[in-house]
Amino acid sequence: MYSKEILERFKSPKFAGGLRGANGTGKSSDDKCGDIIKIYILVDEDGVIDSAKFKAYGGVSTIVACDVACEMLIGMSLEEALGLTSHDILEHIENDIPQNRYYSAVIVEEAINNAVEDYYKRKEREEKKALKEM
Amino acid sequence: MNKRVYLDNAATTYVSSEVLAEMLPCFNAIYGNSNSLHSYGREASAIVDRARDRVAHAINAAKSNEIYFTSGGTEADNWAIKGIAHAYSNKGKHIITSAIEHHAVLDACHQLEEEGYEVTYIPVDKTGLVDLTELLRAIRKDTTLISIMAVNNEVGTIQNIKAIAKIAHDYGIIFHTDAVQAIGAIKLDVQDMEIDALTLSAHKIYGPKGVGCLYLKNGIRIENLISGGNQERGKRGGTVDVPAVAGFGKAVEIAVRDMTINQQKLRSERDYLLKNIQEKIDYVTVNGHPHQKINGILNISFDMVDNESLLMLLDMEGVAVSIGSACTSNSAEPSHVLKAMKLDDDIVKSSIRISFGKNTSRSDLDYVVEVLEKAVSQLRSISAVTKAGRK
Repeated sequence: MYSKEILERFKSPKFAGGLRGANGTGKSSDDKCGDIIKIYILVDEDGVIDSAKFKAYGGVSTIVACDVACEMLIGMSLEEALGLTSHDILEHIENDIPQNRYYSAVIVEEAINNAVEDYYKRKEREEKKALKEM
Repeated sequence: MNKRVYLDNAATTYVSSEVLAEMLPCFNAIYGNSNSLHSYGREASAIVDRARDRVAHAINAAKSNEIYFTSGGTEADNWAIKGIAHAYSNKGKHIITSAIEHHAVLDACHQLEEEGYEVTYIPVDKTGLVDLTELLRAIRKDTTLISIMAVNNEVGTIQNIKAIAKIAHDYGIIFHTDAVQAIGAIKLDVQDMEIDALTLSAHKIYGPKGVGCLYLKNGIRIENLISGGNQERGKRGGTVDVPAVAGFGKAVEIAVRDMTINQQKLRSERDYLLKNIQEKIDYVTVNGHPHQKINGILNISFDMVDNESLLMLLDMEGVAVSIGSACTSNSAEPSHVLKAMKLDDDIVKSSIRISFGKNTSRSDLDYVVEVLEKAVSQLRSISAVTKAGRK
């Protein structure tokens, strides 16, 4: 069902947990299976993702898809992150998980988009606040 | 990984040494075709007859010829549902079953629906008990068959089979029950319980896989499911798998013979594990009926923990449990049984089934609690769901 490599990554994910100082958080879920995930990103001043982590209430494929995506996100610009699709994530894991678990990559893509959107919203709020204070 | 603990005995069991000893001579010593006329055939036929007698005796069938061997529970369920529905189609085309049946029953019913039959799926309450008022309400003039499982395979709830059979007969309806999880766990007496048709399987009771039977009361009509020979009184074609049938007969005999002592052991295992889990892990919920359930199954939810992830972490430490029924656990959809019990989505998503066996030791259970505590803690630490007030 799952490959050995996938199970090893599931057991010891590199990017699981909260992210101190995250300036973008994206949540998404799958209605059918009830999986809920959160992706946290820390974007530096140049708009590059410095760090990414996740929390997941989901199965093996969802935890691994989150972990793989976080690894891919680090070093990406926000535009690149927004361009990251479920297909890009699946390329790394599709041969190692059952087809009926491909939905995991779809919710990860959604969470990434929401995290980037959240970052932009926070930034906009901060800029408005700064303007008011001037 | 060194230690391994198997707690998925409701999915299947190992073949016990007593059963294996019964089977072994049938592979190379008594290997005749039980339908052959010569002495080799007669020897094999005697083995099959003895197994049939053992099964009949175990469920108190009036006659041994009411036992028809099949390739297992799935075939027997399919045969009972389709065969009885077809045989009585002149009377009506309406069937009643429950929402928590095994897929062997549900899928057979779906097939009948495609043929134009109507099926009513009776709901269950939060403990998994079939609602008898709903059952009565569902009965129609054209209802020919009611099929309700004796014991549910996911939560272990025991149905009120005798009462359901009585309701069926009050309205002249045939009653079938899938008793795969019930044999050896509760007393089954087809005459006292007024059961017309009953499904059994060997591999849940330390017998071989691929063999089971349908008990069919004499006088109940059934259309053949498998044609191709005059085996099983012309009702089920195919050369009888003599070693498997011999093992099945022995397994049923032992399951009933040792029922009291086995049930005491299973109950003690279940209570011990549950007590230790509840002492060491917060936010656990036990699913199923509080009392009217078999001892061998513990369905339990660990809040904020996905059950597939929990199953896999336990597996990596050598502990085997299951989620949903084994037949659907490769599907990402939640258990149809727990959904039918109208449990909260979170309870369904976080539930695992622990099913105990004859050989489980206290040290095995201590190891399971240790591994479970670690796995639940790991998954909760990364869970995207939190609970205010969580300890």
